Amino acid sequence: MALLQTIQQMGQGLLGAAWLPVWTVVKILVIVLPIMGTVAYLTLAERKILGWMQVRPGPNRVGPWGLLQPLADGIKLLLKEVIIPANSSKYLFLAAPVLALAPALAAWAVIPFDDGMALADVNAGLLYILAITSLGVYGIIIAGWASNSKYAFLGALRSLAQIVSYELAMGFALVCVLLAAQSMNMGDIVRGQQSQYGLLGWYFIPLFPMFVVYFIAGVAETNRAPFDLAEDESVIVAGFHTEYSGMGFALFFLAEYANMILISALTSVMFLGGWLSPVPFLPNSIIWLLVKMSFFLFLFLWFRATFPRYRYDQLMRLGWKVFIPLTLIWVAVVAAWMQTPLWLW
Amino acid sequence: MNFETLVFYLFAAMSVFAALRVITVRNPVYAALFLVLAFFSMAGIWLLLEAEFLAITLVLVYVGAVMVLFLFVVMMLDVDLVQLREGFWRWFPFGVVLAAIMVFEMVMVLGARQTSETGVHLAKHAADYSNTKELGRLVYTDYVYPFELAAVLLLVAIVAAIALTLRRRKDVKSQNVAQQIAARREDNVRMVQMPAEKKGSVAGNQESEKA
Amino acid sequence: MANNFFKTFLLLELLKGLSVTGRYFFARHITVEYPDEKTPQGFRFRGLHAQRRYANGEERCIGCKLCEAVCPALAIKIEIAEREDGTRRTTQYDIDLTKCIFCGFCEESCPVDAIVETRVFEYHGEKCGDLYYTKPMLLANGDKHEEQIAMDRAADAKYR
Repeated sequence: MALLQTIQQMGQGLLGAAWLPVWTVVKILVIVLPIMGTVAYLTLAERKILGWMQVRPGPNRVGPWGLLQPLADGIKLLLKEVIIPANSSKYLFLAAPVLALAPALAAWAVIPFDDGMALADVNAGLLYILAITSLGVYGIIIAGWASNSKYAFLGALRSLAQIVSYELAMGFALVCVLLAAQSMNMGDIVRGQQSQYGLLGWYFIPLFPMFVVYFIAGVAETNRAPFDLAEDESVIVAGFHTEYSGMGFALFFLAEYANMILISALTSVMFLGGWLSPVPFLPNSIIWLLVKMSFFLFLFLWFRATFPRYRYDQLMRLGWKVFIPLTLIWVAVVAAWMQTPLWLW
Repeated sequence: MNFETLVFYLFAAMSVFAALRVITVRNPVYAALFLVLAFFSMAGIWLLLEAEFLAITLVLVYVGAVMVLFLFVVMMLDVDLVQLREGFWRWFPFGVVLAAIMVFEMVMVLGARQTSETGVHLAKHAADYSNTKELGRLVYTDYVYPFELAAVLLLVAIVAAIALTLRRRKDVKSQNVAQQIAARREDNVRMVQMPAEKKGSVAGNQESEKA
Repeated sequence: MANNFFKTFLLLELLKGLSVTGRYFFARHITVEYPDEKTPQGFRFRGLHAQRRYANGEERCIGCKLCEAVCPALAIKIEIAEREDGTRRTTQYDIDLTKCIFCGFCEESCPVDAIVETRVFEYHGEKCGDLYYTKPMLLANGDKHEEQIAMDRAADAKYR
């Protein structure tokens, strides 16, 4: 902390008024670069874990234990030709991957990594998250439409209907958190979960159904298995990114994994007390947040290794007929519960 | 000109440009996307006014949900542009009159406030000022009846929309997912106990044939 | 009914599925990492073809064409002629390995154990033509692997 202050003072002395934007850019880089690194190694972790669950070793040829595999994949994708399909709308086709990735990264602005450690400690943090995550779908729709390909278009339509349906369940689940925390500030939500009993104070206990619904809806929002109908390879080739190659494809890939990490971080912050320690005798620290996030990321991969893909009508039924009524009821339950002395959180 | 003014003009220019493109661009999908851009720039302007709740809600509701559904429909529709532009000049005077009336109304509404409160600048709020909380308080106290009325109207609209589109088609064979999920093994599988075949009855015959 | 309800909403079946994959996560992987490790082969392994000779160096094949007749993939082509010493011999004996399905019928049908399939499976051709094996190539194969071929035939003999 003292070191940070000296750096800040030095910067202010050197650059004066221009220091603030420079410092913000530095902070953004400090958040974004580790995310990019995590995404790279998450792809390796996914292939390794899927491999282990299928009783095989996973990639192990590039570097020791396959540790250089993400690097090899990245270089391959960078060097590949970007093919623009005939009769596609070129600008939208090229803009779509960027539109997919940008919200996935922008949402990180309000995630508190530790007490007071957030890029932007805004009051409407929760709303901001909801708004930004709902924008990710534009990348997918535009990609599907601009590709001028029926597979891409079908994938985009599927993903669109899916995201719109599950966003509602997700939003209602977050409304419960908002009720419990009585704040939309992400830092306050975590601080509201602080108690002398460690993990008993976290919101996943009173809001357990919402916790489950939120994470499952999160899996659906990121188009991950078993909800990966948008890129249902046995039916619509690769879905919305059928026509993408090289860097465009890599950006979609990055966006998907960045979204996975984001959902893990959000679930940890909203329901599992973010940076709070699960037991009172250990100090709170950012490490707890990372541990919780890793757990959820592992769940993502575990789900993919276990469950077969949903059929489309089953997916819609789950979203509209199960999750939305369940979340609506729980909003009422929590609101009533909070008026009674039985509410201990 | 300070930084905030610069940002304001940037957003204002963007929204005017985007709004113009919405009505001039030929392809309806592009028009919808320009409308999204217009919403975005308006959200930016609202943010400058410290109305962060409204700005984010605009993005969340209009950009995140309404325009997505719009795009959904526009992409699926096979819009015939020639047919669309057929009656343009016939309806043009009517459109101009309508636009003029709307501009006049807007000027009246906005202009009245401008003149009555000339020189009054928006007060700067403290850092812990919560726009959301203020808005919530107003909506549930002073404006509770209009607010509830709007909510009821929306509900009626939802019911009406569903009632208009709901129809049972007899020729469609759809699966009953609830029934499929509720199916248990016991419903469909019957375990049958059968005595084991004696050696020499069937297998024995084959042996003898081979020999 | 109530049972079903709890089963559905407690996600019991999903948890059961997760526990299966979870257990296998810790299981020892059974992959054979090919260039470093190889799976064991049996003496009936059907790999690359070879033509055998008798101990005195005389080729076994008598040109009976049984293998050509039995080959389901029509991969074998045989031409015969009389040799100077009056015996019937093949002048051409080709196996097109791009057609061959390695069923082992040729080996099975051969009255003199002339055409056999060896344990060799790591061979390649860079053009289609490279996989068209002619008589000298097959004989060379047989010469090269004769020891192994003889051992495999001997091991299999008591089951025939």
